[in-house]
Amino acid sequence: MTEWPHWLPILAVLPLVGGALTPLLFHRRPVAAWFWAVSVAAATTLVAMTLLLKLIASGGLSYAVGGWLPQYGIELRFDEIGAFALPASLLVLLSLSFSRHYVARAVDSGRISFYYALILINLGGLNGFLITGDLFNLFVFMEIFSVSAYALVATAREPVAALAALKYLFLGALSSLLVLFSVGVVFAMTGTLNIEDAAADLDLSTPMPAALALAGLATGFAVKAALFPVHFWLPDAHAAAPAPVSAILSALVVKAGVVGLLRTLELFAGGEGLLQPMLNSIVWLGALGALGGALMALVQRDIKLMLAYSTVANIGYILIGLGLSTASATTGAMIHVVNHAVIKVLLFLAAGAFIHRTGLRCIDDLRGLARRMPFTAFAMGVGLVSLSGVPPMAGFVGKWQIAVGALQAGRPILVAVLVIAGLLVLAFSVRVTNAMYFRPPSRISAAAATEAPVSMLFPLLVLTAGCFGLGMAGQVMLRFVAPAVPGLYGGIP
Amino acid sequence: MTVELFDLRPLLAVLISLACAGAVFAVRENPRWRAIWSLSAAGVKFALVWSMLPGALDGKIHAFGFGEVLPGVAFGFRVDALGLFFALVSSTLWVITTVYALAYMRNSHSLSRFFGYFALCISTTVGIAFAENLFTLFVFYELLTVCTYPLIMHNEDMAARRAGRKYLLYTLSGGALIMAGMVMVYTEAGTLSLAEGGILDASAGHASLLTIFVLLIAGFGVKAALMPLHGWLPAAMVAPTPVSALLHAVAVVKAGVFGILRVIYEVFGADLLRDLGYADWLAMLAGTVIIIASINALRQTHIKARLAWSTISQLSYIVLAACLLVPLGALASIIHIANQAFSKITMFFVAGVIERATGKTRVDELAGVGRQLPWTMTAFTVASMSFIGVPLTAGFVTKWYLSLGALQAGSEVFVGVMVISGLLNAAYWLPMIYQAFFRPLPANRPDAVSVSPMMVGPVLICAAYVILLGAGASAPAMPFSVAEAAARFAIQLGVWPQ
Repeated sequence: MTEWPHWLPILAVLPLVGGALTPLLFHRRPVAAWFWAVSVAAATTLVAMTLLLKLIASGGLSYAVGGWLPQYGIELRFDEIGAFALPASLLVLLSLSFSRHYVARAVDSGRISFYYALILINLGGLNGFLITGDLFNLFVFMEIFSVSAYALVATAREPVAALAALKYLFLGALSSLLVLFSVGVVFAMTGTLNIEDAAADLDLSTPMPAALALAGLATGFAVKAALFPVHFWLPDAHAAAPAPVSAILSALVVKAGVVGLLRTLELFAGGEGLLQPMLNSIVWLGALGALGGALMALVQRDIKLMLAYSTVANIGYILIGLGLSTASATTGAMIHVVNHAVIKVLLFLAAGAFIHRTGLRCIDDLRGLARRMPFTAFAMGVGLVSLSGVPPMAGFVGKWQIAVGALQAGRPILVAVLVIAGLLVLAFSVRVTNAMYFRPPSRISAAAATEAPVSMLFPLLVLTAGCFGLGMAGQVMLRFVAPAVPGLYGGIP
Repeated sequence: MTVELFDLRPLLAVLISLACAGAVFAVRENPRWRAIWSLSAAGVKFALVWSMLPGALDGKIHAFGFGEVLPGVAFGFRVDALGLFFALVSSTLWVITTVYALAYMRNSHSLSRFFGYFALCISTTVGIAFAENLFTLFVFYELLTVCTYPLIMHNEDMAARRAGRKYLLYTLSGGALIMAGMVMVYTEAGTLSLAEGGILDASAGHASLLTIFVLLIAGFGVKAALMPLHGWLPAAMVAPTPVSALLHAVAVVKAGVFGILRVIYEVFGADLLRDLGYADWLAMLAGTVIIIASINALRQTHIKARLAWSTISQLSYIVLAACLLVPLGALASIIHIANQAFSKITMFFVAGVIERATGKTRVDELAGVGRQLPWTMTAFTVASMSFIGVPLTAGFVTKWYLSLGALQAGSEVFVGVMVISGLLNAAYWLPMIYQAFFRPLPANRPDAVSVSPMMVGPVLICAAYVILLGAGASAPAMPFSVAEAAARFAIQLGVWPQ
């Protein structure tokens, strides 16, 4: 069975087809649609797991679509970066499980089947983006997950949702355009769309067209990743969307921008002189994002806005790690992509459980909820502690590796940035925990709330365990991603 | 001479309090089962830790490793003499404090949270004591911060929240400094082990070594209330008395001091630090803190505030003694962990008994209390004698060895500090005793409420221990012999200098 070669395309096709079928089969049957979506996501997770096991057993996988060999046909490949598809599928599965009761309240009943369809299509786009070895496909899959993301933001009932979605759409479209333009430049220069071939053929002796392509790709993906200062679309979009969608956007969709940057690094692996200025600016923008995002998170009153800004901060950490380009910092950044995803899904879902039960989203209104919703409050607490990077929780691994990398690169100031940003995160975590645990309820709905239903608690529980587990699994993950590093920076040690 | 043994007991000693916390949370508001779980866990842990003592005295080291979480960053326990000493003190005092707290906290609210986190604190303290490397130590050090927070916030009023915020601000910033220092140690040394008696060497360069020293000492100095990082400690006095006792005698401040000892003896190593000369500066700072904090204690009118400032002063004894970098200094510093703990916890227990029996919390209200509570105030007197340094009490042993150590190190000035500090201690404890015993009770005062023997008993046991530590210091199997063994390893000497 494991010898069957077609698992790789299934990874993207299954959720795309499953998503497209949802409104056709289950329109106005929300529970059936939910079962269907969860089953499709679970099957996708199993496929991703199968692929991961194959990758560990036998190294990288490659698949020629339709039997057309690379350079002529489209190549799909599954490498250490593409393996992000497993956590992505799993997290979407958990968010879908959470959605069952949540959407009944947060989304118009006529739109529920579309909501599930869009989430599955989003997953399909993400998986396709992660596994494609072809530049044009990279763009196509990026459009799939981006457009479904704009629509998902707009499914929320809140009045700001449509406006936030529109802002997100404009910025997203602009960045897609930049990427498409750069892909065109690369194709014109090399005559191929396959990333590996293009990397080999790219003429970097004359800087001009290549630098243009690099700048376009880097900027385009930086907007998708919400790198400071092009992050401003993120907080509104992520805060306005329904909570499970916020979770998926913050944990996975922005990370696709990071993966895009990683692919860009692969593409320009030969161009040390070109890459260095870009990496440098990524480090400094990342540092600004880490501090600025954490500061902005600190002053928010809305819990989802706070979490959204903390995503900006964490993208900052990740990009510091990428830009430092030492082995430990890069592996740290890659691990933080996964660990932050788990933490952020946990946090958004916990916030969603509060909103679902009480309708309150202001931090000060959450007072006294720990007595009424002890499991959700505990999950929120664990998520916040993990987010701040206290060992042995999940957030620690990446930060430690990035800090070690910063010192190895002789830039101790970045360690200070990481530490200060961590403290700011702790500061807003304390605000939330204080409200939940040590204040008497100030709102009637908070005083009368009951614990979230099982379909919400189950994902929270799994993710809480994940926050502990990933913190202890750092060594394992490091060994796994390490082989991907040499392919990234080419000449830079 | 030393043998490392794979042993489950270090892990069990940490887990037992964790299990206890889980059980206490699970039984919720059932007082009988809460008491049963708390006491039996305290008892089992006490037995477990003490059972490792004979082996440790023979030079056996019990260890339990989980392997590496990241390259060079392992998670593991290793019970050396210093760690065992700290664990002995905290597990012994946990038993006593649990008994006291069960009586003191009767009729309070959120007791399941209180006793649950109480147990977690001890769990993490023993984790700190047994940590095999700086990373494990740091993990438990941060956990300790998290676990003491609900205890400080117990009253859930404005003052408690303010104190809690201040506590977190200080300790979390301290944790951040340690984190930064730890990354630097790792990049310089490639390991975080605390088992090698100094992992850094001079090749790292002066600038990095100084940065590491400042980061780590300042980071641990926050919990050790090393001035000027002490601000959280007097504020945290709003917590219930058993918590104050736990914070000031056992868990939190001692964790900070223990961290400083580990940094001095295991991260840098006495030899390197002697060459670098940083310890002299730290010793001078500690000497100054001893005097200034004592003067501040004089000015306090609340009993618990005076105790808090006295703690700040006493903790610096430990730091000062450690910084002398001579064997007798190391001995004084380690033995003072126990001496200060037992003396100070006696005083806090007494303050709690006075509060429960008479409602008095201020120094100037103590007139005649000695007649109402003769046994309790006798215990207080014993503890004061120890702080003043009267022979046959625990404090004398510290002062004796600290002075000898100062002479051994050629820093006679610190003998002077000892003398002045002794006088200042006399100046702030003796008036309280005088008031209590020799001034008549104001006429219109109501009688003292009778206090549960579960509160007075722990007071007397601790006071008795203060005398035992002073009078019977060199008896076999007393903590002194462990401290001696710990000092011997710390300073890397096989043979004890006579």
